[in-house]
Amino acid sequence: MNRRLEERRAYHARYKHDVKTRGKPFYPYAMFHDTVMSLLVVIVIVVLAVIWKYSTPHEDPSSSGWLGKLYDEKADPGTTNFVPRPDWYFYFLFYLLRIFKWPESVILGTVLIPTLLIVLLIALPFIDIGRERRPLRRPVAMTAAILVIISMGALTYKGATAKEPLAAENLVLVPKWAQKQGFAGNQTAVDGAKIFAQVGCMNCHTYLGAGTSNLGAPDLSSIGKTSNRGVAGFADYVSDPSKFGNNVMPQFRDLGADNLRKLGTFLQSSGTCSPKSSNCPAAGGQ
Amino acid sequence: MAKKKPSRLDQLVKLVLYPLNWLEERTSIPGHSGLVGGIKYFLFRKVPSDISWGHTLGSAALTAFIVQAVTGVILAMYYKPDPNSAYESIRHITDDLWAGWLVRGMHRWGASVFIILLFLHMGRVFLYGAYKYPRELNWIIGALILVLGMMEGFFGYLLPWDQTAYWATVVGVNLQATGPFVGPFLGPVLQGGHDIGPDTLARFYSLHMLVIPGALAGLIGLHLWLVVRIGVSSPPWSPTEAGRPQPGPPPAPRKGLVAPAPRGARRR
Repeated sequence: MNRRLEERRAYHARYKHDVKTRGKPFYPYAMFHDTVMSLLVVIVIVVLAVIWKYSTPHEDPSSSGWLGKLYDEKADPGTTNFVPRPDWYFYFLFYLLRIFKWPESVILGTVLIPTLLIVLLIALPFIDIGRERRPLRRPVAMTAAILVIISMGALTYKGATAKEPLAAENLVLVPKWAQKQGFAGNQTAVDGAKIFAQVGCMNCHTYLGAGTSNLGAPDLSSIGKTSNRGVAGFADYVSDPSKFGNNVMPQFRDLGADNLRKLGTFLQSSGTCSPKSSNCPAAGGQ
Repeated sequence: MAKKKPSRLDQLVKLVLYPLNWLEERTSIPGHSGLVGGIKYFLFRKVPSDISWGHTLGSAALTAFIVQAVTGVILAMYYKPDPNSAYESIRHITDDLWAGWLVRGMHRWGASVFIILLFLHMGRVFLYGAYKYPRELNWIIGALILVLGMMEGFFGYLLPWDQTAYWATVVGVNLQATGPFVGPFLGPVLQGGHDIGPDTLARFYSLHMLVIPGALAGLIGLHLWLVVRIGVSSPPWSPTEAGRPQPGPPPAPRKGLVAPAPRGARRR
């Protein structure tokens, strides 16, 4: 038998011996602590529920109290203004996706790092095999733990405070875009810009400095020039991005052909409507 | 010799003991205690004398899990897992039912409390070095409980069928599709089709209230069984730490193991 196992067994035998001779019975000693703590847990949960309910204004139950809304608006796959917010314990993953951008390195954030974390967590007892248990004598383990806590905390905080733009705020920008990009005379493109501002595109994309680059989605300020798919091409792409190998962006097929055409016109106009360019879609559509 | 009439107390004790003995008789095998003996062992087993509040985080997490189970069962009696009525049933629970807001609020916030307690419990175990021999397996089971607990959160998030729920799930499912090999298949399997719709909701509901809680309950049972069997560890800095070498002859190793007699001085 190898020496380490022998030592371990002796240690545990000594532990069992000590507990048997010097220990205290679970009931009532440890059970007292457990019961007090369990009651505290139930009280905290009830108090959270009460605060959640009673900090919400009575006259407007759909508005937000101290702990957030009682309920959001009903899910509507066809529209508008969604805020893809996970529960708080996924914020750190949520923020990883802003660090690792689609498409080159998104797999680091979505698959590699979470898998690595889980594997490390499960493998910990096989990595740290020393018998020493006192924290001050385990400098490597303690340093690693503190680093993990700090980085998880920082990512959670960053994920929590990452601001999603509101549709109403984006809508104000549309005339400015139209002027700057030179599609002000093209009503179809302007309508497309309004759709763009409202349906949630800007939760992931930036446009002329507005919006957030969530999930590493690209800036679309001059997408008409860089991508140049044409009105119908853009409409197709937005309708079902997975057909083009983009599995991260949601489908927007539900917007309908007319809205998609407007959106496509807007995208094709972005960056192409300077006086010299010939790719700018003509006013009124195609 | 006249037979003495049994006192009231004796009769009462007999009355209480009879069903317990009956149960014990029918759950035990020769040489091993049954259900009642097991509960007795659980309650009156010795634990290290120096454990205190740090060791309550596990049972606190268990309490939060029980709160989730109870409130979840009540919610399931009123919730309708169908896109046409899910949202309305949630509003009905919150606005109309007596104490419905309380049950839903407890379920919603209890989820966060559960996850926080799992993290704290894990931190305590890490600090005490309590994942080391012979408790490695219980650390692994605990890690699986944490992962499953977070999955509970993910699948439960869609159920209110509001905008946040829907779009967070859209992003979540799309992200899983970026995985290699299985990624592209995972999305349709989870969604039960190419879009998030009625099948997705039913699927998430089933996972959220049957599959994962069942797995969690099983793992928690195993976790507790191992805790009782192996014993909880003393704080490593305690002067009366159980297992620390004491002057005098070392105790004999466990019986039944192929272990030679201990030899030589032991190092800490």
